Amino acid sequence: MNAQERLADIRARMRDEKVNLLIGLHDGAHFIEKPNPVTVLSGFKSLGPAAVLLQPDGAMTLIVTPHWDAERAAQNCPDARVVGVDDVAAGVLGEVGRRAASGTAIATAGLRFLPYDIASHLTVALPGARSADKLVFDAARTKTADEIANAREATRIAELGYQHLIAIARPGMSEDELAVELKWFMKTLGAEDNFLLLCAGPHNRAVQPSNGRKLAIGDIILAEITPSFKGQLAQICRTVVIGEPSEELARKYELVVRAMDEGIKAAAPGVAMANVCRAINAVLEAEGYGEYCYPPHIRRRGHGLGFGSIRPGDVALDNTAMLEPDMLFMIHPNQYLPETGYLLCGEPVLLTERGAEPLTRQKAALATIAC
Amino acid sequence: MLTSHPTLLIGPSDWDAEVMPRDEFTQRIDALWRAFPDAPCAIVYGNPAHHAELAYLTNLVPKLEAAIALLVRDGSHEIHLGGGPNMLGSARPLTWIEDIKPLRGGQAIGRRALEARVSFPGVPLIIGDGYMPTALHQGINEATGEQALDATAQLWTLMRHLSPYEVSAMRESAFALNGAMTAIADANKAGAGVTEAILLGEREANRRGAQDVRTLFSLDGGRTLQPFTTKIEAHVDPLQVYVAARRYNYWTEGFLLLSNNRLPVAAKAKELLLRALAAIKPGARTADVAGLISAASKPYRPHPVTAHAPLSRVGLALEEPPHTKPGTTFEHGDVYSVKVGIANGTEHAIVSTMVQVREGGTDMIWATW
Repeated sequence: MNAQERLADIRARMRDEKVNLLIGLHDGAHFIEKPNPVTVLSGFKSLGPAAVLLQPDGAMTLIVTPHWDAERAAQNCPDARVVGVDDVAAGVLGEVGRRAASGTAIATAGLRFLPYDIASHLTVALPGARSADKLVFDAARTKTADEIANAREATRIAELGYQHLIAIARPGMSEDELAVELKWFMKTLGAEDNFLLLCAGPHNRAVQPSNGRKLAIGDIILAEITPSFKGQLAQICRTVVIGEPSEELARKYELVVRAMDEGIKAAAPGVAMANVCRAINAVLEAEGYGEYCYPPHIRRRGHGLGFGSIRPGDVALDNTAMLEPDMLFMIHPNQYLPETGYLLCGEPVLLTERGAEPLTRQKAALATIAC
Repeated sequence: MLTSHPTLLIGPSDWDAEVMPRDEFTQRIDALWRAFPDAPCAIVYGNPAHHAELAYLTNLVPKLEAAIALLVRDGSHEIHLGGGPNMLGSARPLTWIEDIKPLRGGQAIGRRALEARVSFPGVPLIIGDGYMPTALHQGINEATGEQALDATAQLWTLMRHLSPYEVSAMRESAFALNGAMTAIADANKAGAGVTEAILLGEREANRRGAQDVRTLFSLDGGRTLQPFTTKIEAHVDPLQVYVAARRYNYWTEGFLLLSNNRLPVAAKAKELLLRALAAIKPGARTADVAGLISAASKPYRPHPVTAHAPLSRVGLALEEPPHTKPGTTFEHGDVYSVKVGIANGTEHAIVSTMVQVREGGTDMIWATW
């Protein structure tokens, strides 16, 4: 599938649902867990709040803030009419005004993720608008060929970033220093953004954003390395020990890797995402860690990868989404164990007809930094 | 200036009591209570993209998930952080407030705010609510009976007057900014490609302690600006860049036009900037200075990037107006980013400086000369 075919699918869904005008909205605060209908519809990653107005005939208007970013948007989206504004709600309503007079059936996507000041303005001004989140993101449940290619490159960058981590991390360095250096290094490889969670300690409760804590011998470094290449995220989850790992730690890490392997094996077309989560849990439950398979220790065993659509959603027991070829998501057991603390292991996978294909060249394994 | 917002804030922002003592925050909160003598508490929202108000009162810059500070008049302040109980640890070093809890939704915050009314029966304040997700906003409204009073604009008025600690933090930030600009200029002069030069600048700012660096650059001689989206190996001349660096939570920003040739448009822009600076003094009208830049720019036109905001307040926020708008007049102690952008269709230049207003003129926070 390419972007044009996805857009054609969305337009067909608009006709089926009798939507005459689809408004995709995003606030420009790009976040790994926040889907972005503007990117799905237009391919554009905005600086500020932005909107796309799409008609069933394919006519598209892209509204961007700040106004001076309109030319970049036009270069990125040559088929769209681009309007630069400094107030996205006013810009949308100005464009909608002409169409709404004729009783246009309007639907919005992304409204519930907007900040209140923008959302409330639009909600009041468009009282009859329906939600089109399902319409847009159902059509974007699988990745386009370009998004898959970008995910492969993002994965390559993530693995190089991980090698760099092992090369430079040392006792006395702060988590912040290490994270800043890794982010910079991956940017030199082409990653325009990075959801890099990195923390360390002898017994981690979770993976968290870095702070000023200094690394020490015996620390377990947790790294969710998540570069974005051309707007497509990919992630690897890795665990590194400073110094010699205990036998128990090595054994427990093998356990979570085995759990991940079972999850990857379970992921296949026609399988519900919940079953992938069950397969991972089963390995851990068999070893007596059943109570650690639920909150507050674990919320999910993976997730979709944006920045556009985050379908097929979380690898979680309550996700009934059926897997299909060209779906892209993370499988990461990322388990808290009482003996070792939190351990990270995870791979980005692409669903194919044959099953889940990890995009990484090297699977997660407990790494050590010699002191 | 709006730049690409990163999906996660990565960089050092732990609270340092020597840089920003606890008394600083206590005084700021006391000033808020003085402005609202009947308020029992303040609900202060911030997320990784918008958090100037939260950072001003708590030092907390949320890196991953949103946070709400519940500031209570009796001093029993709390921070409610998104992301679950296991995520609280990483936020503890970022703030002086010790009571950090998981954010359980707007209803819980609203109920807690109402509890504070037992001792102080006034109306709770709410700050930064425009940035809240709608569901959170509605939850607070429902719990408080829509009684919370939006005090965001009033807090920004208080934030205008910078303390010596804040100015000192901004000078540290300017040190990082200057390092970035110098590295970019050196790399460009040595023939580096566009993004190589930009990345060397970002790295130098990081080396100087910056917790965040944002950049924009131009591939068309300064006509348009763009963020880093992919590597660009071409060397361009002239190279127009924008850099914002953040240290101790305070931003500084600057525009620089780099060229190996003498550019009349750049000389004109710098001349206008110096004229603008000469006109800035306490009591002078900000609109007059903005008008001076516009009127004296002929035969050039104002550059679209700076035309709407030649003067802006930069500090804890790097955001677009309204909150970063200059006041009606310059006041002693204000810090401004002063930007002059001009263009004529074929030539373009944006230059800027950051200054603090003092008696009789300005003190430089950052400049390229």
